Amino acid sequence: MIKRLLAATSIATLCLAASASAAEKVEMWVRSGIGEAFKKTVESYNSSHENQVGMTEVPFSELVQKYATAIAGGQAPDALSMDLIYNPAFAAAGQLEDLTDWAKSLPYFNSLSPSHVKLGTYQDRIYGLPLSVETSVFAWNKDLYQKAGLDPEKAPASWDEITANAEKIRALGDDTYGFYFSGGGCGGCMIFTFTPLIWGSGTDILSADSKTATLDTPEMRKAVDIYRNMVKKDLVPAGAASDNGANFLSFTNGKIGQQSLGAFAIGSLVTEHPDIHFGVTLIPGATGGTSSFAGGDNFVITKGTPKIDAVKEFLEYIYSEDGQKIMAKYGSLPTRGDIAGKVLQGLDPRLQVGMQAISVAKTPYTLQFNDLINSANGPWATFTSAAIFGEDVDGAFSNAQTEMQSIIDSGQ
Amino acid sequence: MAGTGSKDLSPQRKRRRRSGWRGLVYIAPAMALVLLFFVMPVIFTGWMSLHNWPLMGGTRWIGFKNYARMFHDARFMSALQFTAYYTVIVTIAIFAVAFPLAIFVEKQRRFVSTYRTIIFLPVVVGLATASLLWVWLANVDSGFIGPALKALGLVNKSPNLLAASDSAFLTVIIMVVWKIAGFTMIILLTGLQAIPAELTEAARIDGAGRWQRFRHLTLPLMRKTIALALIISVTGSILAFDQFYIMTSGGPQNRMISVVYYIFNQSFVSFNLGYGAALSIALLAILVAISIVQLWLLRVGEEQP
Repeated sequence: MIKRLLAATSIATLCLAASASAAEKVEMWVRSGIGEAFKKTVESYNSSHENQVGMTEVPFSELVQKYATAIAGGQAPDALSMDLIYNPAFAAAGQLEDLTDWAKSLPYFNSLSPSHVKLGTYQDRIYGLPLSVETSVFAWNKDLYQKAGLDPEKAPASWDEITANAEKIRALGDDTYGFYFSGGGCGGCMIFTFTPLIWGSGTDILSADSKTATLDTPEMRKAVDIYRNMVKKDLVPAGAASDNGANFLSFTNGKIGQQSLGAFAIGSLVTEHPDIHFGVTLIPGATGGTSSFAGGDNFVITKGTPKIDAVKEFLEYIYSEDGQKIMAKYGSLPTRGDIAGKVLQGLDPRLQVGMQAISVAKTPYTLQFNDLINSANGPWATFTSAAIFGEDVDGAFSNAQTEMQSIIDSGQ
Repeated sequence: MAGTGSKDLSPQRKRRRRSGWRGLVYIAPAMALVLLFFVMPVIFTGWMSLHNWPLMGGTRWIGFKNYARMFHDARFMSALQFTAYYTVIVTIAIFAVAFPLAIFVEKQRRFVSTYRTIIFLPVVVGLATASLLWVWLANVDSGFIGPALKALGLVNKSPNLLAASDSAFLTVIIMVVWKIAGFTMIILLTGLQAIPAELTEAARIDGAGRWQRFRHLTLPLMRKTIALALIISVTGSILAFDQFYIMTSGGPQNRMISVVYYIFNQSFVSFNLGYGAALSIALLAILVAISIVQLWLLRVGEEQP
């Protein structure tokens, strides 16, 4: 009898063990261009956990369409690393799993990157949590500063200073330029690097409820003047006027004195271009102050996925100190503010500047980000190109203001 | 009644009817393909165009509102305007280049097949590939055209061709002519070669000059060929997308957004698939109308006198 009981229980435990070890495989999509950080985290998770994560990289420009069509066809991945600006639109369309209760139960919920959580929230429910954080910062090339007779360790604190420095660097010669930006209709690049000028000065391109376009402000006029002036003085390479973002990281060629770029770029500059000595600081506002664009990706879960527990386990791993350390090592800033200091210990000190930027950073919240800002033919991209390179600044302002408002109105 | 009716048919009519069925069987595969890959998608597009059809989420029936909307859509109107302008310019440019080339390579001369091959070569390059190639050629720093002009001393500073709208438009036109003219040339060449040599001979004996022969003999006899080349060129230009998307991203400052580009933007940037579908149906109607007008103008259906 006892023997039989033993046999029965041992079979039962065997079954239990078998079912527990039937590890789940989570399918996850990631957009290209966010660097190695996430890939390395997945590798280390897979080697230390029973559940596995399968990662598929999708070109960033096609991710939204692909995900939307995959949802329609029932082939969507369990989870997705989504450019956070698209989070509101997908949440509003009812395609994402509601994470509110679980998220709020996380002990470190309050120290997660606030911009990301805000973008992940739709009608007071949370549909996305921070995965990778990138902020825009101002970088200068120390070698060129030295050659131009400037103090290579002194970060410029205002745009007057930046312009003056740019002139000295331009004076070095033929193909050395003082400043660079992708001005050829790259809405994404310009919202990332150019809006901090006006955010720092306390204004915004959209009203707080995102229902009114507030483009035409004295601060924006000043910001446009700063860029126009540098273009007019030939401090910016001519290619900037038609760069749709392909050459965003021109700074890496070593002939650009100053440029606003992202924290991911700090990672790749450090690892791939060790010969470029550069410093970073916060982007000054047009009329004082500093600001930054908080970008990066949110982690979202497809509505109704059966593997939700496995996905949550993976996300908790990302938020653990180990996970955060791996992410940071490859250029993604920590998403947890409470352990950021510990995570960044021993890493490149310039990443600290990217981290500081989070506290002054903003991200526009709108369901129409693609239409208004990111599209190469949207009003923002057109405005930046027309106002900075065109002849008719007033026309550029009034056209963009009208078109932005009409897009906002038609979406309501 | 039906039974007696069929009995009354003459054997000839019966045979014709049977061969009619047999003909249908022969073209059935082609019909099936057309149905599957043209007619059904068009019907589905028409169905979509009657809905508010976002890329994600539910669809909603809105009747003809999408069609009503396009009449007040300033951006669509300017896209139409630009497409028309582009079509006229590029078609004239292509014919202005292709016709002389066709006449040039029609005559038997030394190396004529080499000339034909060289002129036709760009045609086999894909349009997207060609566009990328020209993006590089026109690049201000590392390209060819700008730096070459500078090296020749024609300009002081390498110009950024794709940054100003006139030079960018000109670059696109030159690229398209370079890419397409060879194809139009081949079509025109077949027309030229179909003209019997005796006719030209006769005209020459009658004392017709070179221009008179071209005007009163070559052109009328090439009417069908020209119609074909024209329709291909006009249709292709109206559907232009790759070159603007790749070379200028619709820029500088949105001055080069063609209709297809606008449909793409509406569908996949703004996620309004329904409105995109309505615009596609409108474009289809415009294309059909233009083709009918062209065929009528060139009177292709009529027998040659």
